[in-house]
Order: sequence, then structure tokens, then C-alpha cells
Amino acid sequence: MKKSIFLAAIILFCSTTLFAAGTQYSLRVDGLSCPFCAYGIEKKLIRTEGVESVTVDLEKGLVIVNVQEGVVLTEAQLKQLVEDAGFTPRSMSEQLL
Amino acid sequence: MRPSHWLGWWCSLFLFGATFQLSAAPITFNSALPVSKGEGVVRVQAKYLRATDDPGPMSRELTVKALPIVGVWGVTSRWTIFGIVPLLDKTMELDMPSGRSKRSVNGLGDVTTMVRYTAYSKDQPGRTVRIAPFASIEMPTGKDDEQDRFGRLPASLQLGSGAWNPLIGVVATAQSLEKEWAVSASYKFNNEANNFERGDEARLDLSYHRRVWIGGPTDGLPHFFYAGVESNGVWQGKNRNNGQKNPNSGGTTLYLAPTLQYVTQRAITEVALQLPVMQNLNGSALKQDFIFTLSLRLNY
Repeated sequence: MKKSIFLAAIILFCSTTLFAAGTQYSLRVDGLSCPFCAYGIEKKLIRTEGVESVTVDLEKGLVIVNVQEGVVLTEAQLKQLVEDAGFTPRSMSEQLL
Repeated sequence: MRPSHWLGWWCSLFLFGATFQLSAAPITFNSALPVSKGEGVVRVQAKYLRATDDPGPMSRELTVKALPIVGVWGVTSRWTIFGIVPLLDKTMELDMPSGRSKRSVNGLGDVTTMVRYTAYSKDQPGRTVRIAPFASIEMPTGKDDEQDRFGRLPASLQLGSGAWNPLIGVVATAQSLEKEWAVSASYKFNNEANNFERGDEARLDLSYHRRVWIGGPTDGLPHFFYAGVESNGVWQGKNRNNGQKNPNSGGTTLYLAPTLQYVTQRAITEVALQLPVMQNLNGSALKQDFIFTLSLRLNY
């Protein structure tokens, strides 16, 4: 029994250390109509603490933000960043990576 | 006709196109597209104006080269401020009793600062419509007492006007991923300095740009290539010398300009060639041949 618990603990430890990553936020943003102005939103988001990468898909009006493990961005925070960049946030979803 | 009657107007028009453009937008006039809060854009232009169609006996030939440097800063998502620092080189050749002569000047021109407010915006996926009024003030930073071997240069051949000249206007832009429309109207109130007052100026500008190519990285923001056409309708009132209106000054000009733009996330490279398709100038003014603009905008 002890052996099983120890093994489970090892597996749990490995899974959290090896596979745990951050969170991915997907933002629907309106008004993104050219690469040059869309870069404004990328600059805004990438400077946010804990943000590892930002990808903007102009055709889909989608902004993907990947953050480090343990970093949490609130919907209000992300919406404010999008608005500061001069665009209109529509919706947001998040998933653990 | 003395150069002061028309040259100042052209120089003013020449630099106007350097002022406010930001994103993939008109090259010869303003845009209502956004600048992010706390972010900046720099634009450097090289402009070349040539005017050689002289109906008078002096065979005048005018060349103006300018290097306007524009800095843009997003104060908030709606308020944007601009600073325009022009470096100028003006040369006029003409026949004088002593023979063919050249009068030229170069240096810093009048610096302009501007504020723009986005009063209306409607965003949809991949498209935006914006309307933004703007106001600017041209400051007398350029020298207005330059001389050459013939004496003091005429007022409008000077690097600066010596006056504080305000401008108001409004611009509307509709942009999607495939195309962009823009229209702008503005009025500039020119004031008196050194007993010379350039006539006020009104402008109506239109542009249409269409994306003709898309490329660049597959995992990031793409690169766009636009082709477009712009038109600039410019009216100028008569100049005043010592308070007297000059009948040989002012008038109306309509320009058409084919344009090309290569747009990436960090930079825009663009060219425009403004051709005067209609010049209805008062008196016997020297007519313009073209204005060529090469421009680079940088996100930083």
C-alpha cells in the first residue's frame, strides 16, 4: 500500500513538473484590420508580466495569449489592455495547457 | 509674380501630407486609425516637389525637397498627439537681368504639433470605422529672415512663416482587411508675420486603397501590399502684403495620386506621386509638375 502511494506521488510530481504549463487565453477582438495597427495590441500584451507569447490572427479576429504557469489574467484586465490598444474586445475563453 | 505669392502655399501643402498618417492609411493626408495608449509610431518621409511650367518671362523653376520627421504618441486609446519636424531645402532658378540666377535656402522649417480625438468608432471582425476631429498649430520655429546675395528672401521662400498658424479638421476612415476608404476635410488659418499673410487653406481629401497581395509568416501577422489612389482638393485664399490682397495669389488645385504600400507589423514602406490634374490659380502663377513621396513608418 505504501509502495502504491509512493508511486502515485512520484507520478503526480512528475506530471506537474514535466507537463504543467501555463494558460492560454483566446480573445475575440473587433477592429483588427491591418498588421501595422494590430501590432499595437501585441506590444501591449507582451509587456504584461507573465505573458510568454501573443499571436494575432487577423482573419479570425483572434488574439491568443499564452502565460506562464501560475499567472492569472482576469477578463477585466485583458479587456482593458485591448481597449487601451484602441480595439473592441468581444469575448474571452481560457484553457490550461 | 513674386515667389511669395505661391510658394508658401505649396510648401504648406507639401508638408501637410507628412502629418498624421499612422497605419496602412492615406499617404497624402490624415487617418483616423488607432494608436495604442502608451505606444508610439515614427514616420520619416522624403518628399520632392517640382514646378517648371512658367507662363511668365523669367522661366522660373522651383524644386523643394523635404524630410519631415513625425512622432506619434497614444495618450489614451482615443487621444493621440503628433509632432512634425520638417527639414527643408528650397531652390528657385529664374532669369534675372544679370542672367540665370538661383535662390536657395535649407534648414529646419516650422514645427507642427497636433492632437486628434477619436469621437466615433465602430469595430467589427476584421474591420473598423472611425471618425476623428483634429487640431494643430504650426509654430514659427523656422528662420524667417534668410538672405542671399540678392537680399532678403521673399516671405514664402523662407524656411518659416514667422507666424502661429492653427488648423482644424475631421477625418473618417473605414478599413477592412481587403480595402480602405478615407475622407478628410480641414481648414488652416494662416496669420500675418513680417507684413505678409499667406491666404487661408481648405482641403478635401479622399483615398481608396485595396489589398492586392498577402504574404509573410504563416504563424504571425501577415504582410499586406496595397495599391491605391488618392485625391487632394486644395483651395487657398489670396495672400496679403502689407494688408493688401494680392490678386496674383491663391486658387484651387486638384491632385490625383497613385500609391503603393507594403505593410508589415513593424513597418510600412510607401510611395505616392501627386499629379495636379487641375490647377485653377489666380493670376500667372507657376504651375506645379508633381510631388513625389517616399515614406517609412515604424512601430516602436
